[in-house]
Amino acid sequence: MKEFYLFPVIIYTLLILLFLVTVLIMYFTIHREESDLNKIAWRHSVGVVIVGVVFSEGVEEGCEAMTYEFERRLNKKGYKNYLIDELIKSKRAFSGSSANSLKLLYERLNLDIDSFAKLHHAKWHIRAKGIQELGIMEQTKYRKEIFWLANDKHELVRNEAQCAMVSFFGWSGLSFLNAIEHQMSQWHQVQLLDKLSDVKPDAFEDIREWMESTNESVIVFAVKLATLYKCHEVYQGVVKCLQSPNSQVKISALEYLRLMPQEDTSDHMIDNYYAGDTGYKLAVITALKDIGSEKEIPFLVKELDDQDNDIKVAVANSLSTLHPLGNGFFETYPFAKTKPWKEIFFQITNKKIA
Amino acid sequence: MKVLVAEDDMIMLKTIEVRLKKDGYNVITAQDGKEALRKFEQQAPDLIITDIMMPFMSGLEIVGAVKKQGGKDTPIIVLSTMGQENVVLEAFKLGADDFITKPFSPKELSMRVQRYAQKMENT
Repeated sequence: MKEFYLFPVIIYTLLILLFLVTVLIMYFTIHREESDLNKIAWRHSVGVVIVGVVFSEGVEEGCEAMTYEFERRLNKKGYKNYLIDELIKSKRAFSGSSANSLKLLYERLNLDIDSFAKLHHAKWHIRAKGIQELGIMEQTKYRKEIFWLANDKHELVRNEAQCAMVSFFGWSGLSFLNAIEHQMSQWHQVQLLDKLSDVKPDAFEDIREWMESTNESVIVFAVKLATLYKCHEVYQGVVKCLQSPNSQVKISALEYLRLMPQEDTSDHMIDNYYAGDTGYKLAVITALKDIGSEKEIPFLVKELDDQDNDIKVAVANSLSTLHPLGNGFFETYPFAKTKPWKEIFFQITNKKIA
Repeated sequence: MKVLVAEDDMIMLKTIEVRLKKDGYNVITAQDGKEALRKFEQQAPDLIITDIMMPFMSGLEIVGAVKKQGGKDTPIIVLSTMGQENVVLEAFKLGADDFITKPFSPKELSMRVQRYAQKMENT
């Protein structure tokens, strides 16, 4: 009996559910279509204005393409953000007067205020986006705020701010190096060095100061800058870096010294050799191959006895270059016929022949 | 002269189209690689300008396909971005004739196209 009453209830419930699902599907389909249509309309109106500005003699002339509809849509946040994205994309694609016109349009529409507002957002990716927008649009008037974000707690925000400072001011944009507390990643350092490759340094005194920083990544970066700009003036400071307990500082110093050696360079490298880890030792031995002389041969021969086979291989390689006998040295070595030296020497001799 | 422009970014495509039309060329546009290849087969353009990164079929694939499909004499200008040097070299290996790196000025593109137009007039 009970089942008899339940059956229609279940049927009605299912029908109501089916109806609700249908209504929901219809609502979302219509909403999506509307939003797609809106996007097409947005794309068209933004496209007309940007193309107009790119080909105009001045931004005023380009703004003639702005319709009432365009200006009305500017009140919508979504539209504004879309416009900023498209302007940024176009600014990256065009150079010369077209790029300048795009910048002027961005300023005329006060879009810099929207980008600036993003700098104070709680979400890190929005802060980073704001910096990127201001950086690409060359909005140097926000330098103070961007400077502070160069020390933001989020790495990607810091990176964007530091890149923007360098894009704005070149060498003097590096002033954030005096203030940052966080470490700079190796990848970010490469990015900054790439941005600086066309920039002329203002003063090598800055590099000397950064090499004294309490932030070890700043020291690494300063040594890399000294290497990039072939800055002989800071040689003594770089030599001091060989005593650092940080292996990255030591390795970057070795790279500088390998490329800009002086008479006493190999002595400094050998003096600090035993304080380093295997990576550092290998880097020293490889550097000695490039800058060493017969004077380093006794040290290298001694290191052929090292426990580590990688070091033995590197030492044998350097000896085959520095020793007056070349590969012939291997025959004079007392343990040349025993393992592992026999295999190492064989490998190096064969590689040289090949 | 008929120029086929393949670029997935609508504003960029429109900008190039407007510029080249102003210069008096007949411009055919395509928003992805497949469309570009179809239009190449149907309309036999005299010059192709293609972006490298595009949906469905990359600029490199377009260069390879055009050069294989009887377009040996059709010059191709590749649009690249900074840091795509290896891709540009690959495009040259496949038969591309020239490249322009973004950011570029529309005037620069116009001058390059003009050079090809003059070459064609002379031959």
